[in-house]
Amino acid sequence: MVKKYKILQFGFGRYGEQIAKNLALDGHEVYIAESDKEALKNASKDGFENLFVVDIENDAQLTDLMLDYGFDYIFCAYDEEEKNIYLTITFKALFRSVKIIAICESKETERKLKLAGAQYVIDTMVAAANRLYYIIEKPAVAEAIDKILFKDKSIIFEEIEVPKGSFLDGVNLKDMAFAKNYKVIVIGLVDRELGNKFIFVTRGINHKIDAGDILVVIGKKDDIYKFKKLLGVAA
Amino acid sequence: MRLERYIIDFAFLLDNSLRYQRIKRFFKNLLENDDYPYKKYFDYFMIFLILSSVIIIIEEVKTPIATWLYYYDVYFVTAVFIIEYLLRLWVYNDVHKIVIAEYEESLFLERSFELKRVLKEIAKKKLEYIFSPLAIIDLFAILPSYRELRILRIFVLFRVFKLLRYSQNITHFLQVLAAKKLELSTLLMLVAFTILVSGISIYVFEERTNPNISTLYDAFYWALVTISTVGYGDISPTTHEGRAITMIIILVGVGLISFATSIIVSAFSEKLTEIRENRILHAARKLESYYIICGYTNMARLLAKRLKKEGVDFLIIDYDMGVVNKALSEGYLAICEDATQKEAFKHINFDNVKAVMALTNSDMHNIYICLNIRSFSKECFIISRAIDYNSHKKLKLAGANYIISPYVTAGFFAAKIIEEPIAIEAINDILVARKNALCEQVEVIRGSFLDGVTVKDIDFDKYKLILLGIVRVDPNAPSEEFRHKFQFNPDENERIEAGDILIVMGYTISIAHFKSQVIESSLRHGKKV
Repeated sequence: MVKKYKILQFGFGRYGEQIAKNLALDGHEVYIAESDKEALKNASKDGFENLFVVDIENDAQLTDLMLDYGFDYIFCAYDEEEKNIYLTITFKALFRSVKIIAICESKETERKLKLAGAQYVIDTMVAAANRLYYIIEKPAVAEAIDKILFKDKSIIFEEIEVPKGSFLDGVNLKDMAFAKNYKVIVIGLVDRELGNKFIFVTRGINHKIDAGDILVVIGKKDDIYKFKKLLGVAA
Repeated sequence: MRLERYIIDFAFLLDNSLRYQRIKRFFKNLLENDDYPYKKYFDYFMIFLILSSVIIIIEEVKTPIATWLYYYDVYFVTAVFIIEYLLRLWVYNDVHKIVIAEYEESLFLERSFELKRVLKEIAKKKLEYIFSPLAIIDLFAILPSYRELRILRIFVLFRVFKLLRYSQNITHFLQVLAAKKLELSTLLMLVAFTILVSGISIYVFEERTNPNISTLYDAFYWALVTISTVGYGDISPTTHEGRAITMIIILVGVGLISFATSIIVSAFSEKLTEIRENRILHAARKLESYYIICGYTNMARLLAKRLKKEGVDFLIIDYDMGVVNKALSEGYLAICEDATQKEAFKHINFDNVKAVMALTNSDMHNIYICLNIRSFSKECFIISRAIDYNSHKKLKLAGANYIISPYVTAGFFAAKIIEEPIAIEAINDILVARKNALCEQVEVIRGSFLDGVTVKDIDFDKYKLILLGIVRVDPNAPSEEFRHKFQFNPDENERIEAGDILIVMGYTISIAHFKSQVIESSLRHGKKV
């Protein structure tokens, strides 16, 4: 049911490699663009087939690429922050509506990327630094988070939009006992009645779920699949 | 010969006596070791004695003082000072070691043991102490108690000087000046020379005409007052020649003063970092447990921010002064040292260090840091950041207990953000503890209301918490990484036992409340039993 995208990723360095692998793992169509031939060689070794040698300062080449393939997302994943900023600006100048995701290593660059028009900016250090905090101060939590996010592939988290007329439409969140009945944990939701902000369920508000609300759930892959099937959103 | 035999035997007796060593070490710590916790109280006590005795002596100048104050000053304060002086003389070095060294040398060289040589050596060492500036001050500070000689009262000043010993700031100040000995002595020579030349010339020109200048002493006094730009005006030149000299030495004086100022300022700016570092290390040593972060990179900065927020102590080490200054300005403890070098950790007691984190941007540096720390402490927990995947093994070999790679987490988050931006945002909020939502571990204490119940017995809804799972600690696990076993979303009939760790999600207050309930219930239960 999750839509698969066509993604053009710039940069196949240390970050790029990890990102491309994760994207491919989720079933997206990943195209890699690099100026460095060594990096592209690594990419082809890792099994990526759609590779381009590009010069990021050559606007004509970038335009051609974009027009030829019509990518859904541009991913700026160079290890060097300044290249990501430059690329973001270039693409925004060429195609105003293109969706760009960029990575950065500092707050300062994050601000610049947002200003340049990137849709999502990922500060790579935030997650790592805070994970480090859990490792040293709260090892049990670190283990739990690691397990859910990285180690145990059978545990996944997903956001599910409540379809109209499903059994969740119109019920109260507290009445459902998701963990017991469906073996999935609902950690929070976007309640359309209360705006577009994400709210943790632990806030204590007993939300009335309506169609269009988005639930964020964690659970075993099979359980989530069953849950979605019940909702009628499973593919 | 008999006497020498006794002395040698006595020296060996002292050397073997643990009790003697312990007592001596105690006094040495008390008097000289800044890190010794009780030295502080001794210092305060001495400062109090000094201040009180100085006040008594000043008061005595005008009005007669009460007898008990007189006795307090003459007998008690003086006695303490004398005892302190003798103790310092005693702990300065080990006399019996000199005797033993001489005895062993004489055995080795097969010559007779000479008492004279030993005594000479001992006297040399002790005199070395007696003539050190601080010891002289100590000695003179004892003198004002002898009231019969009024002139000795001037030595009350030495009591004030004695305060130096007990205050680190002033000692630092003197150390800074001592570092500029050469420049300061040059300046002093220059000043002496100028005074000599100008003093003699004004004496030659004005001795007859100026009633204020009758001796060479007057002339030198005038010269110093003038070049220092103080210029009291009690003596002023009356002749043209005298005025000409005055004008010249005023100019020279301005130059000399700026020279002196610049020397002192530069001495301070040079030594400032060192002094500051000493202070920071001192502050760190006082912490009971703290983390050390090597390399103040972006990742370290974020970690520092988090640790600060949670109230955890840490010390930052980086070799770039600019970066260290930045950390200091953010209010963290930071020192400028090269963490790959031995010197960086020489003054750190690893018993108080909970973990060391090598977070530099280079794998090579991180490996060096791990090796370096392992050379100091075998047990210390080391976490290292790895950049290249190939470095993982090397870092493990170098002694890192845990390896963290920002690329892996970043890769995961980056890929998921397209499909599930809201979920990623939520997970990020939990990780960063933004919006007060966080993940927390709650240990099941023996006897608390959690001990022995099943999951469905606990009303997590009531506590406004979500149970994510249970972590069981397996003490027999082969390595650190497998010790914790996480069980996601346990069945409602799962039994919870003491020693388990519940992973709950919720807001800060909910978690704090839940935790306090757990502790309270365990106490209540404990009382019943």
